Amino acid sequence: MTVQVINPVTTKGQLAPFADSKALAYCKALSQALLTEPPAREHSDLMALGFWLRPANIERMLTPYKELKLRPLGHVFHAAPGNVDSLFVYSGILSVLCGNLNTIRLSDRAGGSAQVLCEVVQGLTAEHPEVSARFQIIRSPRDACELIQLQQQVDGRVLWGSDEGIQALRQRTIPAHARELTFANKLSFAVIDIDAVLQATPKELEQLASKFARDNLTFAQQACSSAKVVIWHGNLFNKEKAQDVFWLALSAFLTSEQGQGKYPLTESEHYRALNNAQDMVMSGLASQVKTCGGYIRMAVDSLHHALLGEHQGCGLFAELHTDKLNDLHSQLTPQHQTMSYWGLIENDVMDWLATCLVGVDRAVPIGNALDFNEVWDGVDLIRAFSRVVV
Amino acid sequence: MITDLLEASPYSVASADKKRLLLRGLQELTVYHQQNCLAYHQLFNEPVEPFTDISAVPFLTVPLFKQRPLKSIPVEQVFKVLTSSGTTGTVPSRIYLDADTAKLQSRVLVKIMQEWLGKQRLPMLIWDSPSVIKSRDSFTARGAGIQGLSFLGRHHTYALNDDMSLNIEAINTFFERFGSGPVFMFGFTFMVWKFGVQALKEQGLKFDFQNAVLIHSGGWKKLEDEAVTAETFNSKTEDQLGHVRVHNFYGMVEQVGSIFVACEEGHLHCPSYADVLVREPGNWQVVPEGNVGVLQVLSLLPKSYPGHSLLTEDRGRILGEDNCNCGRKGKYFEVLGRMEKVEARGCSDTFERTGAGQ
Repeated sequence: MTVQVINPVTTKGQLAPFADSKALAYCKALSQALLTEPPAREHSDLMALGFWLRPANIERMLTPYKELKLRPLGHVFHAAPGNVDSLFVYSGILSVLCGNLNTIRLSDRAGGSAQVLCEVVQGLTAEHPEVSARFQIIRSPRDACELIQLQQQVDGRVLWGSDEGIQALRQRTIPAHARELTFANKLSFAVIDIDAVLQATPKELEQLASKFARDNLTFAQQACSSAKVVIWHGNLFNKEKAQDVFWLALSAFLTSEQGQGKYPLTESEHYRALNNAQDMVMSGLASQVKTCGGYIRMAVDSLHHALLGEHQGCGLFAELHTDKLNDLHSQLTPQHQTMSYWGLIENDVMDWLATCLVGVDRAVPIGNALDFNEVWDGVDLIRAFSRVVV
Repeated sequence: MITDLLEASPYSVASADKKRLLLRGLQELTVYHQQNCLAYHQLFNEPVEPFTDISAVPFLTVPLFKQRPLKSIPVEQVFKVLTSSGTTGTVPSRIYLDADTAKLQSRVLVKIMQEWLGKQRLPMLIWDSPSVIKSRDSFTARGAGIQGLSFLGRHHTYALNDDMSLNIEAINTFFERFGSGPVFMFGFTFMVWKFGVQALKEQGLKFDFQNAVLIHSGGWKKLEDEAVTAETFNSKTEDQLGHVRVHNFYGMVEQVGSIFVACEEGHLHCPSYADVLVREPGNWQVVPEGNVGVLQVLSLLPKSYPGHSLLTEDRGRILGEDNCNCGRKGKYFEVLGRMEKVEARGCSDTFERTGAGQ
């Protein structure tokens, strides 16, 4: 069994202080490469990553932590997820900025944009040997001996994946002192206010549709923060009217010059969504399947826990109604991650969120669901990748 | 009305008559399954308006038969369960037949095959190993196919050994005895090609059958990977076996009665009790004749389980109706292989299922 290093360097990696200037320079160079190199520009997720890595954003993000005495954790092993090709860079880079040595194993399924990303990262090794040595990306069989040995010596481990995948990876022991972070499968939902949709101007509706598509149809709806459930909030009497208006706007956007071909699903993804919907209806989980061109709608009566395991994305939206946010409390579980919302007042959402003792790790306006935050699934990654010295 | 259709030749009913009979039959089946299969009713619970077009018949996606048992009969009436693992995974489809549906299936099969084989039961050479039908409780698709067609022949001879090597002695004996007269050969496309035609060629063996009909089925995927076209398949078969009329057929265990045999022109023909539509992935609307899309198959036979209207995972296109050069009535079409499978991504990412259980 072999381990293949994507960005090999001859320099040996050394721990660095928090927000080390070489690490900042690396982020800047990676940002520039992603935002300017033609192959990277073809992938919207890489563009988003390029923006996130801009010096101003990194600075904004790190500033609040500078007053803490942060020291590196040590050597961190990351198992990257296969659903969102570029996700491993966010957590990997944060760990680099925290001064750690990092080994990142790419998923065997890592596809299109991961390949481009690897090439960009390779291009940075000559000018940034020290930081590259702390940001080693590998491809290897999951059970390679080298990988098992490496995990026996790490100071931290980050596992992204399905629940069963994480449990399988957890079988490999890590030292007693090592810290482990797991990011398992999660379900996200969008909340849209019924009356707000009916009062929206055509322009506002078009923007809503465009943002909704970006959040939920990028990566074929496979990202954990993409909504699989749409919750209609408010006036039940107007619900169907608002649904018609909204879905019509989404269909119009997806066939418009701006939206056409932007979120392509393959034939078999379309088929999978239809089969998935039919299967869920037969199991009693959902009802009323409607195929609408690029996506499928179906009705559910709650944020049923089975949706997490059953719903396979690919442009399938389960819809339910709630009079008010408070009625959702009893349906929330620790598996509910992102709530994206539209037409609700931010303060109201935040007030409600303050009362959620279970579930919902973040609430963002529709359009920002895929933005990466340094606090993810309720974990402050910068603190998690550091030792806070007092 | 299915009995009306069964009286006539399967390729003799022109579109206007066929449409009327199909609509009525599919209507009755839809209502029947709504009343007798709870899961089906859950999905299609609206009262059925009289269908004015075949495209209005609701359809199930084929993997549902792998995902759950779907039947419209009480369990004590189950006479036979057909299974197939297909290519999508290890979970097989389970198709529940009662005695009536099983009987109808056999009758239709005979009716269709007689069109290509004649009414005589011919000596039959099976391009498979005898072990494939030995386990009688669980019919595999291959076993069921062979079993189903066996009673159209006599003097059944298996051309392959259990290890898939050629049983030269058996083939020789069969040829010596029947080679100068009409014979019936049957096998799965890939088996016929790989373990039959190619193996014969490798061993430098040729037989000069005078009047053989080879019926084969099972998909071209593996052959396409080796760039083997239907023309190549047919001509190489003749090179090794002599005068052989080769007919491919398309069908699936999930829909009994849908046996679409390729005519001399290479076109797959709908028999009178079955039909085909082509739908566009995504909006799932029916596309105009000639356009490529995903095949929907409809059949009047499935009564013991709700399989009368199925959206397949295969791509294809309609080539025409009632006007094929071969003279047979009905729609004719071609199959263009399976939809391209994408890696299941989901959050099932860092974990590869093949490594499960470690």
